[in-house]
Amino acid sequence: MTDTPETREFDGVELRKVREFVWEIPQSGGMNAPARVLASDALLDQIADDNTLQQLRNSTHLPGITKYAVCMPDGHQGYGFPVGGVGATDTTDGCISPGAVGYDINCGVRMVRTNLTYDDVRGTEEELVDSLFANVPSGLGGGGVVEGDADTVEAILERGMEWALEEGYATEDDLAHCEDEGRRPDARPEFVSQKAKDRGRNQIGSLGSGNHFLEVQRVTDVFDGEVAEAFGLREDQIVVLIHCGSRGLGHQVCTDYLRRIEKRHGDLLERLPDKELAAAPAGSELADEYYGAMCAAINFAWVNRQLITHRTRRVFERVFRMDADELGMELLYDVAHNIAKREVHEVGVDADGTAVAEADAVDHEERELYVHRKGATRAFPAGREEVPPAYRDVGQPVIIPGSMGAGSYVLVGGAESLPETFGSTAHGAGRVMSRTAAKQEYWGETVQDELRDQDHIYVKAQSGATVAEEAPGVYKDVDEVVRVSDALGIGDKVARTFPVCNIKG
Amino acid sequence: MTDDPDTVADGGADGDDGRFELRDHTADVAVAATADSLGGVFAAVANGLTAAMCDEVPDTGERFPIEVRAESPEAALFDYLDECIYERDVRSVLPADHRARVGPVDGEWVVEASARGVPFADVVARDVKAVTYSEMELAETADGWRAYVVFDV
Repeated sequence: MTDTPETREFDGVELRKVREFVWEIPQSGGMNAPARVLASDALLDQIADDNTLQQLRNSTHLPGITKYAVCMPDGHQGYGFPVGGVGATDTTDGCISPGAVGYDINCGVRMVRTNLTYDDVRGTEEELVDSLFANVPSGLGGGGVVEGDADTVEAILERGMEWALEEGYATEDDLAHCEDEGRRPDARPEFVSQKAKDRGRNQIGSLGSGNHFLEVQRVTDVFDGEVAEAFGLREDQIVVLIHCGSRGLGHQVCTDYLRRIEKRHGDLLERLPDKELAAAPAGSELADEYYGAMCAAINFAWVNRQLITHRTRRVFERVFRMDADELGMELLYDVAHNIAKREVHEVGVDADGTAVAEADAVDHEERELYVHRKGATRAFPAGREEVPPAYRDVGQPVIIPGSMGAGSYVLVGGAESLPETFGSTAHGAGRVMSRTAAKQEYWGETVQDELRDQDHIYVKAQSGATVAEEAPGVYKDVDEVVRVSDALGIGDKVARTFPVCNIKG
Repeated sequence: MTDDPDTVADGGADGDDGRFELRDHTADVAVAATADSLGGVFAAVANGLTAAMCDEVPDTGERFPIEVRAESPEAALFDYLDECIYERDVRSVLPADHRARVGPVDGEWVVEASARGVPFADVVARDVKAVTYSEMELAETADGWRAYVVFDV
């Protein structure tokens, strides 16, 4: 008698358990590859509670999708492609999909270290949160750190953080500790529409709203002392987390290309189960133009986070009466959550050299792929040449923000990330409750009061509704998300942080 | 173009006959709308977009025109809502009190619309990033039109 694989079914989607924390939706119908969900039983129940599994299955209809599409442990329903989704498509006979990157191109997170300890900050929390809120633009119509003209926008799109360095908003060290050193060389500003540039002009250096935030945190736990030392982290240290993206400019780039692809490649679109998966065939004019425009928007997002870093340094200097160098305010790392990148990965091939599902592979070859990460973080292990020299011997830092009541994690890219997830892991806690339900469940001022009185966390937001929508109870258990990542070896635990104060749009 | 467009045939309505509801969506927000006319349902979805950004809209602001042309009614709805978001960012106003007429002209679907632009200084509002095609519905019913649109927050 042979063992029957454990299976579970949710609304017509059947999953087969591959091993602990790994579930697979077998290839069938119009799927071009299987799909995998990386989750514990508890997380799988939450992931299956909305349309995440259907969206994940839909994503495997993309032409040239390789090996499998993967949903990270924090996955949830998005639009077209699930949030927490990773899909790699061949750059020669596959496609690139703006919908699989998302509207907020290079929505991402960065962590800034300080030399301060929690004791240094206690008693200043209200002054700090008030000063950060007053000086870091947030919300709708809050303007930006820089009021840009057309030339400024062009320069940012072209040169990314190199522009910030030239203008005095960044240090050489900042660039050395950012993914791609803060500049995508493939950026083509000429493929970014005037509408997108118009929207970006008055938002350069702004948080926006939704789930974006700036949070001062203290390091509460160090799990891996050696890697933590390489990252410059120690217990009780104060760090700053900045989470935002490419603002209206990036949103417009995605919108523009979805519509252009709809008009130009309607035949491909008709074969896809969701219009939001709109994709341009690899090698087509639109694929190249979208890639260039997306890379330019990636540069814009890095500058956005850099200008907020610059303003944060000035606030800390005033509050703590020391300059930023004395405060040790160095960038630990900056990672993207919504991005597609040309990367080389090993894939299984059949006897003809065609990429096939792992079960049918007779050999393996290196292939260049568009790796789409939508609500997922690149998590390259030690040795990958894309990891900055500062971290190449230990692996890429991965920052996993949790809710404003639960804290966050710093991980390091795990050795299993390359074979399992195209070098990717989770990007956060992931929502479990809708925004409309959250506003019925929570009252913003009450959430703020409870966080301050019970957990000594000081929150300031443009709108009480935003606080209610982002209440700690609307998110998955970040500890469980990280437990799965760590157990699978795709992103390994290094340190945990807990909020001190938080500003939101 | 005037505040009350009259160049697009839309059953004689001026597009303010609609109703909307904000619907649950895990990370984003959805708007379900109905109206007697196509223009009415477009305006109702746009009013839902406004409600997703702001709980209490003050009476301030001047009206401004919005016009789009697209190859199908769904594409016209997508482009119209995208234009509302674009105008919001470049005019620094919250578009509210939407009016729209929608109809076919020379093989295209034309939206002639207007909104009242509430200055950001007068309002506390949240960002909605973009309109999406995900799960979009636009259909004629026995009573008029219904639409369902998911917005990225």
